[in-house]
Amino acid sequence: MIKVEHLNKSFEGKQVLKDISVEYEPGRCNMIIGASGSGKTVLLKNLIGLMDPDSGDISYGDRTLSKMNYKEKKALRQKIGILFQGSALFDFATVIENVMFPMEFFTDWSAAQRRERARYCLEKVNVIGSDDKYPNELSGGMQKRVGIARAIALNPEYLFCDEPNSGLDPYTSILIDRLIYDLTKEFNMTTIVNTHDMNSILEIGDKIGFIHEGSLLWQGDRHSILHTDCRELRDFVCANTLARNIIEGR
Amino acid sequence: MIRRFFESIGRYFLFLKMVFRKPEKGRIFWRQFVNEADKLILSSILLVGVISLFIGGVLVIQTASNLENPIIDKMYIGYMVRESLILEFCSTMVALILAGKMGSNISSEIGSMRITEQIDAMDMMGVNSACFLVLPKVTAATILSPLLMLMSLALGLIGGYFVVETTQIIPTASYITGIKAFYNGFYIFYSCFKMSLFCFMISSIAAFNGYYAKGGSLGVGRSSTKAIVTTSILILLSDLIVTELMLY
Repeated sequence: MIKVEHLNKSFEGKQVLKDISVEYEPGRCNMIIGASGSGKTVLLKNLIGLMDPDSGDISYGDRTLSKMNYKEKKALRQKIGILFQGSALFDFATVIENVMFPMEFFTDWSAAQRRERARYCLEKVNVIGSDDKYPNELSGGMQKRVGIARAIALNPEYLFCDEPNSGLDPYTSILIDRLIYDLTKEFNMTTIVNTHDMNSILEIGDKIGFIHEGSLLWQGDRHSILHTDCRELRDFVCANTLARNIIEGR
Repeated sequence: MIRRFFESIGRYFLFLKMVFRKPEKGRIFWRQFVNEADKLILSSILLVGVISLFIGGVLVIQTASNLENPIIDKMYIGYMVRESLILEFCSTMVALILAGKMGSNISSEIGSMRITEQIDAMDMMGVNSACFLVLPKVTAATILSPLLMLMSLALGLIGGYFVVETTQIIPTASYITGIKAFYNGFYIFYSCFKMSLFCFMISSIAAFNGYYAKGGSLGVGRSSTKAIVTTSILILLSDLIVTELMLY
């Protein structure tokens, strides 16, 4: 479980996160939603330790992130899988080498074992027969899948996805969403997805936190989001035609 | 501006602290070291070789045209060409050439990894990205660059020999005698040391600029240019200091 308590973050005097408190449970797809510039990515970067909060605590289980030393953070990071917005696959490595990369560093497995595990992960995300291709030879959707395969290579307890659908067509977006959802359930991971895509939210959002101008205004699930009284959230939801039609019963 | 300058120096040394940590796994480090040796040193052989051959030839002609006094033995032309190559060209000039080639290569490679979040991805896996990406480059460049200097010296002398042999600007025997005369082994050590130092600066400063690149592809270009300008100035400055300390 990840617990966030009274998190605040400012940049050059402008407060980007305001007193955020939230809990993320294992086996659930937790969504951070909000308009562009609302503070979602800053929250995600604080959660994974790429940024330090000005005040407040983030705990992984019973350990507080800010009190961890270098070694403890490093150990924690091996339990975290991340899918970056642009996939962030390593240009210098092939598909299979990308997936094997974390295993090379943090396991004592033989090359054959690493390859076998990488193939298993690639099969899980339905990337077959592209082992020796380089990232620039793959489509955006394939890159995301390989990114997910790399993220789950070490059986992480936590999976973070930053805008997993950006730049993808609606069909591929749904496939990626379902993949994230299925993997979360199968491996009982604590998954946190940062998105503003309403389709994703309605598809896989077990727990949803709406951030508006740095404040966590609303929490709920994909069913209650359509019946919210929060005006800012309603505006956000209704900007999407599909959601508006559902709300209006069309 | 002065504050920013000192901040950059501080960040550079903190960056070096991250780079010079024990690598996660020796096997991975050595594999990267070999890759970088190929990419940074072996791939520079052709460029350095061609330039050295021509510079050797040009030095012979220039020195000969400046030493027309019949009292001065012609073998001094070979001697002066050798000393010029050892003391300055094969280390400082070659390093300035490498600052462009190697520096832009390192800075743009690491910079593009930074802006595409590949470095963040490594950090998030718990991999020390600075150590993984930069240490093999710095060690390969620092340890192996003296070989480039020695190759440059050999090819410079050969270039001079070709010119002497084909133009007979001076007798070949005088040139051979000259390049063997008054040999001082310390000069070779001095030149190798300079080359190592310069290549350390090129690789580490270029990596530093790339590692902290921001602002998209324009930012990568800016970091590359900054790396080349900074290292070129520092090479000339440290050349002066090292020469004063080691030869005077």
